[in-house]
Amino acid sequence: MSRADGPITVAFVGNPNCGKTTLFNAFTGAKLKVANWPGVTVERVEGETSYEGRPIRVIDTPGVYSLTSYTIEEIVTRKCLEEENIDVIINVVDASSMERNLYLTMQLLELKKPVILALNMMDIVEERGMEIDLHRLPEMLGHIPVVPVSARKRSGLDVLMHAVVHHYEEGPQGIVVRYAPQLETKISQVEAALRNKYGDMDNLRWHAIKMLEYDEEVYRDHPLNLRGIVDYSYEKDIINEKYDYIEEVVAECLFNKEKKAAMTDRIDELLTHPVWGIPIFLGIMALVFFLTFTVGDFLKGYFETGLEYFSQGFLAGLQAMGTSQWLISLLVDGIVAGVGGILTFLPNIFILFLALAFLEDSGYMARVAYVMNETMSRVGLSGKAFLPMLLGFGCTVPAVMATRALATERDRRRTILITPFMSCSARLPVYVLFAQMFFGERALLVAYSLYLIGLVAAISIAYVVHKTGGNEEEDGLLIELPEYKTPNGRTVAIYVWEKVQDYLTKAGTTIFVASIVLWFVLNMGPGGIVEEVSGSFAAMIGRLLVPILRPAGLGSWQIAVALISGLSAKEVVVSSFSVLYGISNINSAAGMGELSQILAQNSFGPVNAYALMIFCLMYTPCVAAIGAIKRETKSVSWTAGMVVFQLVVAWVMSVIVFQVGSMIF
Amino acid sequence: MKLNEGEIGRNYVVTGVLAKQQVARRLEALGVNERTPVIVLNKKGSGSLIIKVRGTRLALGRQIAEGITIEEVARR
Repeated sequence: MSRADGPITVAFVGNPNCGKTTLFNAFTGAKLKVANWPGVTVERVEGETSYEGRPIRVIDTPGVYSLTSYTIEEIVTRKCLEEENIDVIINVVDASSMERNLYLTMQLLELKKPVILALNMMDIVEERGMEIDLHRLPEMLGHIPVVPVSARKRSGLDVLMHAVVHHYEEGPQGIVVRYAPQLETKISQVEAALRNKYGDMDNLRWHAIKMLEYDEEVYRDHPLNLRGIVDYSYEKDIINEKYDYIEEVVAECLFNKEKKAAMTDRIDELLTHPVWGIPIFLGIMALVFFLTFTVGDFLKGYFETGLEYFSQGFLAGLQAMGTSQWLISLLVDGIVAGVGGILTFLPNIFILFLALAFLEDSGYMARVAYVMNETMSRVGLSGKAFLPMLLGFGCTVPAVMATRALATERDRRRTILITPFMSCSARLPVYVLFAQMFFGERALLVAYSLYLIGLVAAISIAYVVHKTGGNEEEDGLLIELPEYKTPNGRTVAIYVWEKVQDYLTKAGTTIFVASIVLWFVLNMGPGGIVEEVSGSFAAMIGRLLVPILRPAGLGSWQIAVALISGLSAKEVVVSSFSVLYGISNINSAAGMGELSQILAQNSFGPVNAYALMIFCLMYTPCVAAIGAIKRETKSVSWTAGMVVFQLVVAWVMSVIVFQVGSMIF
Repeated sequence: MKLNEGEIGRNYVVTGVLAKQQVARRLEALGVNERTPVIVLNKKGSGSLIIKVRGTRLALGRQIAEGITIEEVARR
């Protein structure tokens, strides 16, 4: 063969949550996100590896249950299989639920491309006392190579790549699933018709079967008049017969099937309890935020001391070098204060993502969809829409992308509309700072109340949209609940490290640039460098918004400027305060004291602070989120409308909070 | 009877699936077909439930559960 040394292209294909991405990471050294709930991967991803000097191109695909094309994931995966030059399909199968996983295998075998079965989670199978007949299994699957692996423990990987390099030219032998005689007759008739019109095709039988299933894609690519042969969709019969065959396979190859660990069911009795399910969920979220604040604050002290030393040393160094005054001001008051101030929140961010990683990798996520199904159902969404919302506690951008797992465009848009109201990690510094500054011991309670208000606002908005949008019934909940497992160290580490990196990158890019820009607009006016900040561009712009923000108790140009800057990233609201008031270490006791004193001069008290936090919770998250929403909805006008909507909601809510709050306190 | 009328811990087999075509196809791909054995694991008053089917757990909303008819079988 001419391409004996060329790269081999391999695609990982399998059910959702069967470990494709874990395997992909193991082979390519990539650090893609993995978690224990179906639908983590929504895009195809490419990577490279090699075996015995042979380059191998690896493609990871979103998990699918079947090769039809009804969901976005299925379309992506099927496109990848049809359009790319895939040499070998590695069908990743969760050995602990082989029966369901093999259904996709049966379809892949019909494609007649080389398939290798990677029997994943063999460690779990063994733990449960189950045994798989690895001799009989390949015999029943067209003699394709079957390789037991454990993606998490990284065992069996070399054997798998060995199989790739040596079997990439061999497809499955013979016909694996033979259908009932009348179906087989139909298949031959369609095959004949296809051959007549299109000549010899590689996978004639697959096309014929898909045509009997009324598969739209196949008909679009190969239009064929089958009147008289195919009079109705045989899809149901074909599915049933595949499952019948799988039952035979399972009966012959899988032993001690019923001896399963009942651990998951026992945990579920509590966590998915009809009455206690929701309180437990709220309790778990409260615990997450409690840890974020308390443990985060405990670690924060070290960061502050470090920043203090750095800032002082840096200043002394600059002065010793005889740096000009304005440059010192830019570097110390602008960049160090803005970027450094944000870095001190890293411990809180770290703990939040650590907790979220545990939730995602434990298997609890999918349960939340079930627990919240009734609540979501009342507002016209299925419980599944709650998963992106939960991810929104971390970051709005991946949360918006996760809506791809929802079945209809209508559900997606509605979920995208409400997800930004879930309080993301970037808003955390605002709460940490202002809650501690103005509410002292009750800071934690105040912060948790904001998370709850965000959640309630999201659900209420969905309710209003549902009621005004014609009340039609939502797509019902249908989701697989994975087994619970102890979160994997490597998975959690990758997840948290990526988030910490993102945060540091953001501090070094967006926040860095925003701090510099802010310093300039603060120190420049129409006539060049200004002595008094009140004559600066920033003050001029800010003052325009003061009348609008005054009813919300936010009527100062500095706050207006901080809120505008916050559109670049929500953390910038905090770093703006550092730069605006020249506070070097805003997150320390001294920095907070300084800021609250300055604010108090404008009679800015706890009620104003709460209104400010409400505004930050509700208004447009950041440009990155707007970008993601535009990409996912593919509509500029919809996205623009959403931004206006968020600004209006934020304004109305903070006005209500301030006006009512001022009356009470 | 309908799946949402099933009782926790009992064994049933599916006798029919009636749902919007999209949902029906997804159920079929997940292995919920005629003659498939199911066990009800968890159920809420509103009709959402968790079933065990083909070795995996599925959470279903009421609308979908109502479209699945079942009959009880003796414990295997």
